Formats: sequence, structure tokens, C-alpha cells
Amino acid sequence: MTSASMTDVAERPSTRRSTETHAAKSRKRDQWICWWSLPIFYNLFGLIFVYLGKVMPPPKPGLTQAEIVEFIQANANSMQIAWVLLALSLGFASLSSGLIVTQMRRMSGVSAALAYTYLAVLAVAALPGCLFCSLMFALAAFRPDRDPQIVAMLYDMGMLSFVGSLGCFVTQYLVFAIAIFLDKRGIFPKWLAYMSIWGVVTELVAMPIWIFRGGTYAWDGLISFYLGTIIFVIWEVCLVTCLYNAIKRQPLEELTAAQA
Amino acid sequence: MNDTTAATLLQAPQLAVAGATTDRAERHLPGDADIWVFVIGDMLIFSVYFAAYIFFDRGQDHELFVASQRHLSQSLGVINTLILLTSSLFVALSVHATRAGDFGIASRFLSLGGGFGVGFLLLKSYEWYSKLSSGLTISTNAFFMHYYMLTGVHVFHVLIGLVFLLVLRSELHGTARPRVKLLEIGATYWHMVDFIWFLIFALLYLMR
Repeated sequence: MTSASMTDVAERPSTRRSTETHAAKSRKRDQWICWWSLPIFYNLFGLIFVYLGKVMPPPKPGLTQAEIVEFIQANANSMQIAWVLLALSLGFASLSSGLIVTQMRRMSGVSAALAYTYLAVLAVAALPGCLFCSLMFALAAFRPDRDPQIVAMLYDMGMLSFVGSLGCFVTQYLVFAIAIFLDKRGIFPKWLAYMSIWGVVTELVAMPIWIFRGGTYAWDGLISFYLGTIIFVIWEVCLVTCLYNAIKRQPLEELTAAQA
Repeated sequence: MNDTTAATLLQAPQLAVAGATTDRAERHLPGDADIWVFVIGDMLIFSVYFAAYIFFDRGQDHELFVASQRHLSQSLGVINTLILLTSSLFVALSVHATRAGDFGIASRFLSLGGGFGVGFLLLKSYEWYSKLSSGLTISTNAFFMHYYMLTGVHVFHVLIGLVFLLVLRSELHGTARPRVKLLEIGATYWHMVDFIWFLIFALLYLMR
């Protein structure tokens, strides 16, 4: 942004909807780029996991080996495309982590410790929580004549890690909630912290999927999967909205000199 | 002490509960809107758990559930209910004491409330231990799956509640003017935890 273009830009009159001038928006452009990664990535995520990858809604844990092989082979091509798309785009998700950490660093009474924990734990979570499933299905689909026992194992590895990678997300939600509770500046609203505690509970009720091969608490269960997914989607929508507001309201004086 | 508190205390003999008022201008939401979002949302989530219990699994195999319920001790359930009721009473008394400015008393009530909460956890642990020793685990049957999950998620809520009570205690001790609103927030959550236990008790221990 050159000083000439800054003076060229006219100031828009204040309206209830947008009180940010063009100049202000451009100084926050990096954060807006990060923010846009969220709706873009999650739409892609939906395409990959729901439509192409056949992970959501989840296939049943109680299938026989023959049924598992049939499931993989019937969907082999779309699973492979899903994996390639995910492998290309998953790194994109870290833009949102960086953004959330940036906003967390604005909180008062909160040191860097919680923000760095958030960053670290989501980096760890990406593998079991996201990559593994698509990768395992693509691996299973890669050779049609693979031993059915191995195909079944890959199927279990994928689904169990997807629904059952509990702790990374428990930590993410808890750290986020604690930071919001401690923050005196109200960067994020308190109700988002309470919703994050719901997120912790969704992981607790997903614990039994490692035991049950059917029913309410299996990896395709009403509680362990469907309720958990609904709560996660609601939380994510709220997070994206709150992030939008946080960036919008961030005073220009807070942006570092390097961003001027 | 502000005018509202003074006026309220003057009316104390007429009011059943100090701090209560029917004057529309003085009515307020206990705590804040955020905790009520949490409480109502949490109860909605629990009602999905209960719906799954009643309609999905219990409806499929009613005899199994009735037979399995006989293994639960209704006495332990009743005692736990009384324990949580008592703890809620102490937490409510703590809020009233805070409103009246008796922070020392409020803190002691909180400790009592938390103590009874710990008592609940101890009794629940004993109950789980005795079921597990009898070979009744989470994978025994559908009833016990729900039993351990419902009581387990509830125990998690009690633990969070105890953390909240500790935060309230430190507010009472650590600040010159403890905020009543914070006490109300914590108490609202604790009462919800109590209420959810009632529903679990009714569903798991009583409903045949």
C-alpha cells in the first residue's frame, strides 16, 4: 500500500453496517485472507468428505469383510479424487489457526501459552482427525486385489481415527474456552467459550466408538457421530462469525508497525 | 449497599426469599445471557441423549432394560439425589449471602456446596466400582452402555461445576467487591447439573 493510494481513497460515510474505511480494510487484508480460508476450506471439506470420500455420513462399523471390500471398490475413484483434493488443500486449514492465534494474542490476562497450545494441538490433530480417513480409503482403493483383511483394517483405521481422535480436539476446545473466560477485553463472546465446552462433551461421547460396532455410541451412532457433527457445525459457524466481528472491530492502532 | 438492596432487605419479612421481587422494574436475569445460552443448549443436548435412551434403545428391548435396571441400587440413587439437592441449597444460600454482603458466610456455603458435590462424585465412583466388580461393564448390554455414558457425561459436568465453584470462591476471597452476577452465573450452572441428575435418576433408576 503506497502513501499515494492511501490519500487517493475517499472515506466512506459511516453506516451502521460498515464503519471501516477502505484504508483500514487494506491494513487488515492478511487477516481477511486467513478468514476467507474458513468458508472456502469447509465447503471443500464438505465436497471431499460427504460427496467424494463417502466418509460422511459414515459407512457402518458392523459390515463384514466382503461388504467392506465391496464398499471400497464401488467408490474407489471418488475416494482417490477426494484424497488428492484433501492432500492439496489441508494445509489451507492452518491459515485459520494462525488467524485465531493472532486474535487470541490480543486477549488481556492471557499469555502466549494458550495461543501456542491451540496452534500446536491443531497441527497434531490434522493427521488423525482429517487426513487419515481419506488416506486409508484411497490406499484401500489403490489396489483392487488387496487382501480383504488388509482392506478391512484400512477401513477401520480410517473411520476410527476420524471419529475417535478425541484428545486433540478436547485440548483445542478447552484451551480456547479458558482463554475466552480469562480474557477481559472480550475479543470473543463468553457464549462461544460455553459452546466450546459442548465441543469437549462431543469428544467424550465419542469415546465408546472404540468399543461398539453398532448402535447409538458407534462411529455411525446417533450420539457419537450425528449429534457430535451437528454441534461441531454450529460451533464452527459461530466461530467464523465471531472471528469476522473480532477482525472488524480490531482497532487499527493494534496492528503492528510492519503492517502499516 | 444500593437502594434496591436496602429496599429489598426492608421488605425481607414479607418476601419468602431475600432478593426476590415481583416488581417488574427490578426483575433481572440471574447471571447473564451467556450462561443461559449454555444451560438451555446443554439441556437440549441432554434431551437428545435421553431421547436416544427412551426411543432408540429402550424401545427396542424393553424387557432387557427392566431386567438390567434391577441391578441398580435405587437407594444409592436417592441418596445421590439428596446429596445434590443439599449442595444446590448451599450454593443458593451462598448467592443470597453474597447479595446481602456477607462474603465470609457466602464462601463457607460455597465450600459446603462443593463438599457435597465431591460427596456425590465419591458415591458415584463407589457405585461404578460395585457394578464393575459384578462384571457389569459398558459393553454388557444396551442399558449399561447408556448407564455409564449418561452418568459419565453427568460426572464430567459435576467436575466442571466444581471448577466453577472454585472460581466463585476465589472471587469472594480475592476481590474487595465480589460480583453477585458471577455467583449467580455459577449457581445457575450448578442448579442445571442438579436438575440433569434428577432426569437421569428418573430415567435410569425409576422408570420401568
